[in-house]
Amino acid sequence: MIRVNGREHPWREGLTIADLLKELGDPYPYAVVRVNEKRVSRPHFERTRIPDGAEIYLIPLVAGG
Amino acid sequence: MVDVRFDLWRDFRYRRPSIERGYANQTLYVDLSSGEMAVKEVTEQMKEIFVGGRGFGLWLLWNAVKSDTKWDDPENALCIACGPLGGTPIYPGSGKSIVTTLSPATGTVIDSNVGGYFGPYLKFCGFDALEIQGKAPHDVVLCINGMEARVFLFRVQGLPESAHEICDLLTQHFGRDNPRSISVVCTGPGARHTRIGCLNFSWYDVRRKRVRYKQAGRGGTGTVFAHKGLRALVAIWPSVTVGSNGPADEAALREVARLHSREIVELDPKQNEMARVGTTHLVTIMNDHDCLPVHNFRYGCHDEAPNLGQEVYRRIFDKGFDGCWIGCTVACSHGAKDFIPLTGPYRGQRVFVDGPEYETIAGCGSNLGIFDPHTVMEMNFYCDTYGLDTISVGTSIAFAMECYEMGILDKDKTGGLDLSFGNRLSALELIHQMASGEGFGKVVGQGVRRMKELFVEEFGADPRLLQDIGMETKGLEFSEYMTKESLAQQGGYGLALKGPQHDEAWLIFLDMVHNFMPTFEQKAEALHWFPMFRTWFSLCGLCKLPWNDIVPEDNKETPEPAKVMKHVQWYARYFSAVTGRKVAPDDLIRMSEAVYNFQRIFNLRMGFGRRQHDDIPYRAMGPVTMEEYESRRERYDRQLVDLYGEDVLSKSTEEKMALLRSHRQQQYDRLRDAVYRRRGWTPDGIPTLATVRRLCIDFPEVVKLLEAHGVTE
Repeated sequence: MIRVNGREHPWREGLTIADLLKELGDPYPYAVVRVNEKRVSRPHFERTRIPDGAEIYLIPLVAGG
Repeated sequence: MVDVRFDLWRDFRYRRPSIERGYANQTLYVDLSSGEMAVKEVTEQMKEIFVGGRGFGLWLLWNAVKSDTKWDDPENALCIACGPLGGTPIYPGSGKSIVTTLSPATGTVIDSNVGGYFGPYLKFCGFDALEIQGKAPHDVVLCINGMEARVFLFRVQGLPESAHEICDLLTQHFGRDNPRSISVVCTGPGARHTRIGCLNFSWYDVRRKRVRYKQAGRGGTGTVFAHKGLRALVAIWPSVTVGSNGPADEAALREVARLHSREIVELDPKQNEMARVGTTHLVTIMNDHDCLPVHNFRYGCHDEAPNLGQEVYRRIFDKGFDGCWIGCTVACSHGAKDFIPLTGPYRGQRVFVDGPEYETIAGCGSNLGIFDPHTVMEMNFYCDTYGLDTISVGTSIAFAMECYEMGILDKDKTGGLDLSFGNRLSALELIHQMASGEGFGKVVGQGVRRMKELFVEEFGADPRLLQDIGMETKGLEFSEYMTKESLAQQGGYGLALKGPQHDEAWLIFLDMVHNFMPTFEQKAEALHWFPMFRTWFSLCGLCKLPWNDIVPEDNKETPEPAKVMKHVQWYARYFSAVTGRKVAPDDLIRMSEAVYNFQRIFNLRMGFGRRQHDDIPYRAMGPVTMEEYESRRERYDRQLVDLYGEDVLSKSTEEKMALLRSHRQQQYDRLRDAVYRRRGWTPDGIPTLATVRRLCIDFPEVVKLLEAHGVTE
């Protein structure tokens, strides 16, 4: 099990960030996802595997700077 | 103990008004040449049109200088102002000061915003702005004591050179029993010998029992300060409450402040964690998106960039509350204690480093090919205490390093320094030389524009190449974002009033990553709205981070998520609660439009505010060298085919580079046209008469100036 924005989500071996976003069905084009303390950007979503028990935050990075 | 002597030169007594609806309704004028001081009235028209902060600074400066005034003339004024919302302790990010003056880098107006306590304390002492003209005949310290309603001008001898020591000493001297009541503004020795001097604004860290500081970095404000003979400004104010700023409706203020503060406390830990890592989270994100400057903006990423990221600095930063204004819940001003420099006068000693933030990491790190976090901290420490802007230092050294790598410079010309990318000790040595005014560091400290001129004249360098790779516009060095793949951000830099600083518009994610605004008109609209709203923060004395670096969870459901309209509405409520002027979000934009257009016209008055001054170096648009093109050949080839219908198969790299350059320069010109139209400017980039009339800035001297430039409608 992992937590995504505070809500529980089932985990499976090999689950990537790209997989997770598909499963969530959230159409928003997230550019960055936090996996525990690590920030992962969109170019790495396909190859970044999520560990079991991870705390995930989808970061709505649209502005900043 | 340092033996410092303060001899009273002038003692000025004034009536300290109570603060009403965010305003003291008067400003303090100081002529350092004569030591004379005076109080000037703030009129209702000033408040209506210029609001405060940067707006007040611009108006005071406009009336102080002439079209031929140079930055180092006595009549150049250095203005520091807070703003009507500045000094509110319960609303996050409400302690900014804005410095305005004629810049030694650009020759025209610069505005630079900074945290620390000085601006709010200045207002509570009784002044919405401080205007300093003249040049002191000897080193002086100006002390504004709000408790006694007196301003003291001291001749001073024996003050230390380093900014952190000046801040410590003056805080101890004037605030022995209550160090939190003191805020010091000062610079360091680097400001005297370069054109890129910064100003340090202090705040007192109660938990660590330490004086900390933030920097007004851009445009050489510290250099102006030093050339006036000013060693320091001190403001003394004993305590701050919600009532200190005299809000019109304190209950409404408390309610909206509670909403925003609570949201930040709740959401920042789930988003960027700025209260723990500041802006360092941007390093790896920019690197991943090919936007982190590497080797003088040649490239946008590097394998070693994670060495400079938030996972590293998270462990280096000293844990604890790091708000540069009282009660700010963003609290992003992190630092490191017991840092031991390896070079310079503090070698081997334990010092506190205030920073680094993203810009310093990118400027003094990746852009120089330096990926050691401790070297970046050492450069950060020395830049601050020498009074140097880390952004201009980084971008200027990066340019010198590229010239060295290209053979334009060699060891004979650099005084024996090897300026290859990645040479940490040489980069640090240049900074020490900027402080001492010796060696090649003094040359680099003149900034990119003057290095370009010098290298052409003295070393026979190709001026076209230096124009392409020298990352400055209007004379100001670029801040630290790669813009090659973001046309909107090229405009964000090129069309910025003061030069390429990202505080006007930061559109990289909107444009390049999300492609939310594919058309020229959409980009132009963004290059209208965002600079205007960001300008508003500098009118009011606010930090922009609470607006869009922590966003509501449902923000992504809104029609224009980048505007974070829920927060814009809160800011309108905040302004109404403090000033009593009932405003809606659109009114905030209109306030800014007046000041923004006035600043553009101010540039025109100083000989700068036209289309040609919005040109940017080609490095900001595309690949200058074969290596740059080849490193992203697939991307550039694809764009030539898909976007421009070019046949690339039969073409050499040089031919493809020339084609890409032609297309990208045309794109930038089309963008410029679209933005000028949207802003109500002529094709030459000058506000029309209709625009200035609509914004009520059609003062006779403004109309005359426009007419002199052929603008009659």
